[in-house]
Amino acid sequence: MARAAKAAKAAPKRDLVANASYGETGRTTSDILTPEGVVLPFINATFGERVGALLIDMLIIVFVPIIVFIVWIALPIHVDFDKTHKALSSFVQILLLFFMFFIRSGYFIFFEMGPKAATPGKRFMKLRVISHDGGRLTPAAIFTRNALREVELYLPVTLIGVFLAGEKSGSAALAALWALALLLLPLFNKQHARLGDFLAGTRVVHMPKAALSYDLADLDGDRGLGISFTTEQLAYGEMELSVLEQVLRERKPAVMKAVADKIKTRIGWVEPQNPEDVPNDENFLRAYYGALRAHLESRMLLGRRRKDKHDGAV
Amino acid sequence: MVDRPGPSDAPRPALRLKSQKFREARQGDWRALSGQLDKAERRGLGSFSVDELLNLPVLYRSTMSSLSMAQSISLDRNMITYLQALCVRAYVYIYGPQTRLKDVLSGFFIHAWPNAVRKLAREMLLTFLILIVGGVAGWLLCAFDSNWYNVLLPSDQAQGRDLGASVESLRKSMGGAEDHALSPFAVFLMTHNVRVAIMTFAMGAIFGLPTFAITLYTGITAGAMIWLFASKGLGYEFVAWLTIHGTTEFFALIIAAACGFHIARRLMFPGDATRRTALAEAGLLSGTAMIGVAIMLTVAGCLEGIGRQTITDSLWRILIGLVMLTIWSCYFLGVGRKTPADAFTGRSPATGEGG
Repeated sequence: MARAAKAAKAAPKRDLVANASYGETGRTTSDILTPEGVVLPFINATFGERVGALLIDMLIIVFVPIIVFIVWIALPIHVDFDKTHKALSSFVQILLLFFMFFIRSGYFIFFEMGPKAATPGKRFMKLRVISHDGGRLTPAAIFTRNALREVELYLPVTLIGVFLAGEKSGSAALAALWALALLLLPLFNKQHARLGDFLAGTRVVHMPKAALSYDLADLDGDRGLGISFTTEQLAYGEMELSVLEQVLRERKPAVMKAVADKIKTRIGWVEPQNPEDVPNDENFLRAYYGALRAHLESRMLLGRRRKDKHDGAV
Repeated sequence: MVDRPGPSDAPRPALRLKSQKFREARQGDWRALSGQLDKAERRGLGSFSVDELLNLPVLYRSTMSSLSMAQSISLDRNMITYLQALCVRAYVYIYGPQTRLKDVLSGFFIHAWPNAVRKLAREMLLTFLILIVGGVAGWLLCAFDSNWYNVLLPSDQAQGRDLGASVESLRKSMGGAEDHALSPFAVFLMTHNVRVAIMTFAMGAIFGLPTFAITLYTGITAGAMIWLFASKGLGYEFVAWLTIHGTTEFFALIIAAACGFHIARRLMFPGDATRRTALAEAGLLSGTAMIGVAIMLTVAGCLEGIGRQTITDSLWRILIGLVMLTIWSCYFLGVGRKTPADAFTGRSPATGEGG
């Protein structure tokens, strides 16, 4: 597919708010250009999230057979199969073998081929598997990325276990070191992809569920309050605006007071003489937010943008 | 800059930012799309009426254009975040794997699988040679000094087929009808084989060395066992016993090892492509072939569980084994050559690489 992350990377200038991926700072994204020509940022799953998802899946893999076994023991119908029903006994054995095989080798493949492309552990961590170029996620890719677990997970864990259990020869140490490197490979690339991901051309991404909240800018209300700012007073950029939005949505009084004080000092705000007209911190901040956003957006329409307060005024 | 309140008392139109008007006009569509996605994820597209179905791409495109526009006119971070998350969700759903099961199956069996196997021809030849070398080596070692047999096949692996075993017990180990037809043991062997095949394939990522070792060892043990049975005068029966499922099983193992060698080769020598694309290509190709390997091993398991237990005549066993070999060869060499494009990988199929 021609649409690739490359195209997005080549674009020198990107939307600023889009760059702060979902407002979750410190997270990297893989940008995928859709056929409609829109750049979609997919948040890369962090190493911690991936380990968390894996641990949940491993717990399921280990405990489900145990639970099945306990239920089997607890079941009241306890016929001695071996003597009475030979065919039934072998049938049950076959079922058990298939079940164990599925749990060990088919679990990840089965769930990742589903519509949500995620195992229960991944679903819990709000992760899913996508194709790295944004194309279709094929069964072959899912098979490959999970077959590689053998060398990336099961083998290294075994090797390290052997090493820790006392096999301290040079080759065992070397093998354990190599196994550790393979196990920690996701730490050493930006997208936290493991070897199986590279081979299958897949990536694991974080899919947050965002809700559409109300619009904070209420220019009519601000007009009613009679608060206005001069252009010189609107001396902040888009980064500060988004921080201010976060503060206003969280509505913590202490934070709002600190932020309001800081802004008032910076812009040289003079409180109205009539004490009844002095706005409270939230009203002041909302008015300032509305005015700043109106100012920045009107400049934005002309293609002039101000990244943050250190940027030159527009 | 928006007008600030002036002195006049006349009623004014409500003050609105462009981004707010934009949001008001469009947010109905966004919420509708979000609702439709929820519904699709919960109950599938089957629950959609024709109108809803036709409306879904319209909603998707309008939301995509909303995002594109919002990023250039709005600074409402909550709205942009929401739109990004919604678009990502919708994109993954709309462009996700929506093929019908029938198409997936026919795509796999009619082009993807045989094409993938054909592209692995060189690696398969290499694996085959390693197996042969291993087999000859196993035979020669044991023929030279029978103590080698115990080294190559420790008694816990030999399952009673050791040096001291009598002709009678060896003959018995080749099975008769005394077991139940679809014995759990055959299922165990099948699942075990699939796991070994996956292992052989995955180990290719370690520069192919473990794959090489596993393949060689498989050949050596086979050679040593044939020698053991041959030395007791049961060579023909043993080969027959091995052939009925062995042609399928060894074929599958050869493909699995070839997949391992293929990823090792592309890892070390990516050629013109970058290592990343080379790996992704190799992974897709070998993944396709490996799904096929799992299928072949299932077939082999059935032959082993049913055929080998019920068919005891050596000639029939060899015949069935050869028929299976012919079927597989014809399938891999002949099927899916003329398809215009490979639905699995989006590339045109290999030409003239088979054999």
